[in-house]
Amino acid sequence: MEISIKGLNKNYYSEGKTIVALDQVDLTIPANRIFTLLGPSGCGKTTLLRCIVGLEMPDSGEIAIGDEVVFSTEKGIYVPPDRRGLGMVFQTYAIWPHMNVFDNVAYPLQTRNEPREEIVRKVAKTLHFVQLDGFEKRPATKLSGGQQQRVALARALIAEPKVILFDEPLSNLDAKLREETRKELRAFLTELKITAVYVTHDRIEALSLSDTVAVMKSGRIIELGTPRGIYFDSDRRFVADFIGRANFIEGKVASVGNGETTVDSAIGAIACEKKINASPGAAVTVCIRPEFIRVLKGDHKVGRNIFRGRVESLVFVGDAYEGEIRVGETLLIFRIEPTTAVREGEEIALHFDPRHCSILLN
Amino acid sequence: MQKTRKGLTPGLIAIVGFLTVCPVVMLILGSFSEGLNAFGTFTLSKYVKAYTDPAFAEILVNTAVFTIGSAIVSTVLALFLAYLNTRTNIPFKFMFRIISLIPMMVPHILFAVSWVLLLNPSNGMINLFLRQVFGWEGAALNIYTLQGMILVEGLLDLPIAYLVIAPAMSAFDVSLEESSKVCGASNLRTLVRITLPVLRPAILAAATLVIVRSLASFAVPSVIGMPGRIYVLATHIYRVVATGYVTDYGMAAAVGMSALAASITLIFLYRHLTREGEKYVTVSSRGYRPSVIDLKGARYPLFGIVALLSFVLIVLPVLVLFYTSVVPYSMVPSAKAFAMMSWKHWIAVLKDPVSLLSLKNSLYLGVGGATLGMILSFFVAYVIVKVRTKAAGFLESLSFLSFSFPGIVVGIGFMWFFVQTPLYATIWALLIGYIATYLPYGIRPLTSAFVQIHSNLEESSRVCGGGPFYTMRRIVIPLLIPGIVSGWILMATMFVRELSLSVVLSRPGTEVLAVQILRFAEDGLWGRLSALGILMIFISTTLVIIASRIGAKLTKVDK
Ligand SMILES: Nc1ncnc2c1ncn2[C@@H]1O[C@H](COP(=O)(O)OP(=O)(O)OP(=O)(O)O)[C@@H](O)[C@H]1O
Ligand SMILES: [Mg+2]
Repeated sequence: MEISIKGLNKNYYSEGKTIVALDQVDLTIPANRIFTLLGPSGCGKTTLLRCIVGLEMPDSGEIAIGDEVVFSTEKGIYVPPDRRGLGMVFQTYAIWPHMNVFDNVAYPLQTRNEPREEIVRKVAKTLHFVQLDGFEKRPATKLSGGQQQRVALARALIAEPKVILFDEPLSNLDAKLREETRKELRAFLTELKITAVYVTHDRIEALSLSDTVAVMKSGRIIELGTPRGIYFDSDRRFVADFIGRANFIEGKVASVGNGETTVDSAIGAIACEKKINASPGAAVTVCIRPEFIRVLKGDHKVGRNIFRGRVESLVFVGDAYEGEIRVGETLLIFRIEPTTAVREGEEIALHFDPRHCSILLN
Repeated sequence: MQKTRKGLTPGLIAIVGFLTVCPVVMLILGSFSEGLNAFGTFTLSKYVKAYTDPAFAEILVNTAVFTIGSAIVSTVLALFLAYLNTRTNIPFKFMFRIISLIPMMVPHILFAVSWVLLLNPSNGMINLFLRQVFGWEGAALNIYTLQGMILVEGLLDLPIAYLVIAPAMSAFDVSLEESSKVCGASNLRTLVRITLPVLRPAILAAATLVIVRSLASFAVPSVIGMPGRIYVLATHIYRVVATGYVTDYGMAAAVGMSALAASITLIFLYRHLTREGEKYVTVSSRGYRPSVIDLKGARYPLFGIVALLSFVLIVLPVLVLFYTSVVPYSMVPSAKAFAMMSWKHWIAVLKDPVSLLSLKNSLYLGVGGATLGMILSFFVAYVIVKVRTKAAGFLESLSFLSFSFPGIVVGIGFMWFFVQTPLYATIWALLIGYIATYLPYGIRPLTSAFVQIHSNLEESSRVCGGGPFYTMRRIVIPLLIPGIVSGWILMATMFVRELSLSVVLSRPGTEVLAVQILRFAEDGLWGRLSALGILMIFISTTLVIIASRIGAKLTKVDK
C-alpha cells in the first residue's frame, strides 16, 4: 500500500530548547517496494517512522496509508497505532520477556480474538517462514540476538499487514550475522510483496536492501532515488560523502563541450564525462570515489586525467589495499587490488576514470 | 489520558508532601511550643532546657561513639564478605545472598533481645554457663555496655553496608588490579594499595549510611543500652516522652531537631559520596569475569567464618528465642532444662488480651499499610519514571526525604500533629506514620521495575493492535508484578516489626507487636517475650511466602 506524507512537521521541546525533528516532510512511499530512510544519527528517521505508525503525534501535516488518512491536523484525524494495522520491528526488538515465543508471535492475533486453532496454525506457519520451527515453547529471554530479531519479524508479519516498518533492525547484531540477516530479510520481503519502510544509518544496508532510498538530513528529505542513482549520480556533496568514501577536489570549470567538462583544480585539469549544466568559470567540486582511481605502474607521463603523487600510507584491509596519496598539496584516498605491488613512499601515477568523475555544484 | 496525567503529579505532590513535610513542620513548631495542649504559644524554654541539661554532653558522646563504632564494625565485616564473594573462589556463594537478606527475617528488637538473653550479666546463658562450668564469679561478659551495643548494632547493619559495597566491588574494573599484579605486587599489597583506595567512595558511603541507620536505631539502644543506663539521642527522646520524667513533647522535639539535622546532613553526604563513587568506579561494558583469587588452603577456614556469621545472624537468635520461650526461667541447656520444658509462656501470651490485640493490630497494619503504601508508591513511581517533568523530579526528591528521618523523631513530629486531630490514639495515626516513614522502600523497587519496562515494549503492543487497556493488562502489569510483590513484602515486614515510630504513637488500644515486646523486655518477662517474638517472625515469614506465591501465580498467567 502506498504511503503519502504531506507537509509533516514535528518539534520536540526539551530543557527550554526547540529541536526540529521533522521539517516540512513531503514523501510518497511506493507500494510493495522496500523503501529506506537513510541519514546520520539524530536526523529524524525514527521520528518519521514513529509518526507513520502513530506512536508520535506530528505538530502538523497529513499522513495517508493507502486510501485511508490516518493523521491530519487539518481534518482533525488521528488514528491510534493499534488501529492502523501495521507491523513494526523495533531497534530493541521489544520482545516481551514474560511470554514465550508462541505468545509473543501470537499477540497480534490474540488482540483480535481469533480462534485458538487458527492462531496455532498461523504461528506455526510464520515461525516456519522465519526459520524458527519448533521454538513455540521457548521463553523469550532464552533467545540469541538473531533469534530475537526473527521473532520480532514473525510478530510483525503474522497479521499480514499491508505495511511493515523497521527501525534499524540489524544494528544489535554482530557484523557477520548482520550480513546474513540482511540477505535473508531481502529475500523475505521480496517474497512477500509488501510495502517495507526501513530506517538505517548504515549505507551498505541501505544500498543492498532497498528499491528506493531517501536520504535525510536535519529533519528534511534531501534526496530520493534508486541505490545506484544515489551512489553514482548525486550532485550533493553531503549525499555523496554520506553514501560512500569519496575524494572532493575544489576547482573551476575550464571548458564545457562534447559530453565532457574540464575542471581546473589544484592537482591539474580533470576531465569529467558526467553531464552538468555549469558554465565556464563556475566554482565546482569534483567528486571521485577511491575505487575509480587506477594506479599505473611505470613511467607514465602526465596526461589526460593522469596525475603523479607519492604514496603516503598503505593499509591492507583483506580484499584490497586502502591508501593515501599526495598529489601536490592534495591528499587523495584510493583503493587497489591486494596483489598490486605498490609500496609506501613510492612515486606512482594515477588515472581518474572520467566516467566516474562527478561535478558537484558549490 | 493526558488530562488525568496532568492532575496526577500535583495530587501526588500534595499527598507525599503532606506525609513527609508535615512531621518536620510540626516538629519545628512543637519545639517552640509550651506543650501538647498549648500548641503555638511561642517559647524558647524547651531548647534551653534540652541543651543545658548537664547529662546532654554525655548523651552526645555516647551517640557519636555508638554510631561511628557500629559503622566501623559493619563496614569492615561487609568489606570482608564482599571481597570474599566477588573476588575469591570461596565455596557456597549463596550464603552471601542469605546474609544480605536477613533484615527481612529477624526483627531488630528480637535480635537485640537474643543477645541480652545470652550475655546479660545476671542470668545470660553464656554467663551462667561460664559460672557453672568454670566457677567464674560474677558476670564475665556484660552486654549492657557501649561495646555490646556497638557489636549488636554493627551486626544488624551489616546487610546495609554489604548492599552498598558488594555492587561497587563487582563493578570494579579488574584491570586496575591486574596491572598492579603485573608490576609485581602481591594480592595483599594490591588490595591495600589499589582496591581499597579505588573503592573508598563506596566504603565511605556504606559507613555513612550505617551511621544514619544507627542514629535512627531504637531497638538496640532501648533493649541493651537502657538497662545499662547508656543513653543515646533516640533513647533520650524516648525517656523524655515515655518514662519516669514528666512527659515533655516540647523538649523531645527540641532534642529531635538535632537528630534530624544530623540525619539530613549525613544523607546529603551519602548522596554526594555515591555520586562520587559512580565517577570513580569504572564499570567497563565488556562482559568480563573478574579474575578470581584462589584462596587455596584458606578456602574452608574463611568459609567457616562466613558460616559462623550467618549462624550468629540468623539461626542463633531464633534458637535462643525458641528455647527461652519453652523453659520456665533462664538456664543453660541441660537434661534438667529439657525436663522442665513447657508451653507455659505460649499459653500466657495467647491468653494475654494486650498481646493478642498487638498481634491483630500489627497484622492489620502490615497487610493494610503495605497495600495502601504500594498503591501510593505505584503512582509515585509511575510519575517519577514515565512522566519526568520538573514537577516529577520534585516529587522524587520529596519522596526520598523521609528516608533520612529517624523514626522516633518523625513520631514526635506526628504526635504534635495528631493531637490536634481526631486521629490521635487510633490505628490510623500509626498507619499514616508508617507509610510516611517507609514510603521510599515501596517506591524504590517499583521505580526500578518501571525503568525496566522499556517504552518499546508498550509501543510494540500498541502497534500489534493492543489498545491502551489491553496493553496495560497484558504487558505492563505482568512486568511490574515482581516489583510490586517485592515492595509489598518489604513494606509489610517492616510494618509488622515497626518499633521506633510506634513507641511514640502507640497508645492503649493501639499496641503493636514490637512495642508489646519492648514492654515485656522492660518487665523482664523473657519467656513471654520470646513466645510473642517467635509469633512475630512467623507472621512476617508467612506474609513473605504468601506474597511471593501470589506474585509467582500472577506472573505465570498468560493471556
Ligand atoms: N522524546 C524526545 N524528546 C526530545 N527530543 C527528541 C525526542 N526524540 C527525539 N528527539 C530529538 O529529535 C531528533 C531526531 O531524533 P530521531 O530519534 O528521529 O533521530 P534518528 O534519525 O532516528 O537517529 P538515530 O540514527 O540515532 O536513531 C534528535 O535530535 C533527537 O535528539
Ligand atoms: Mg533512530
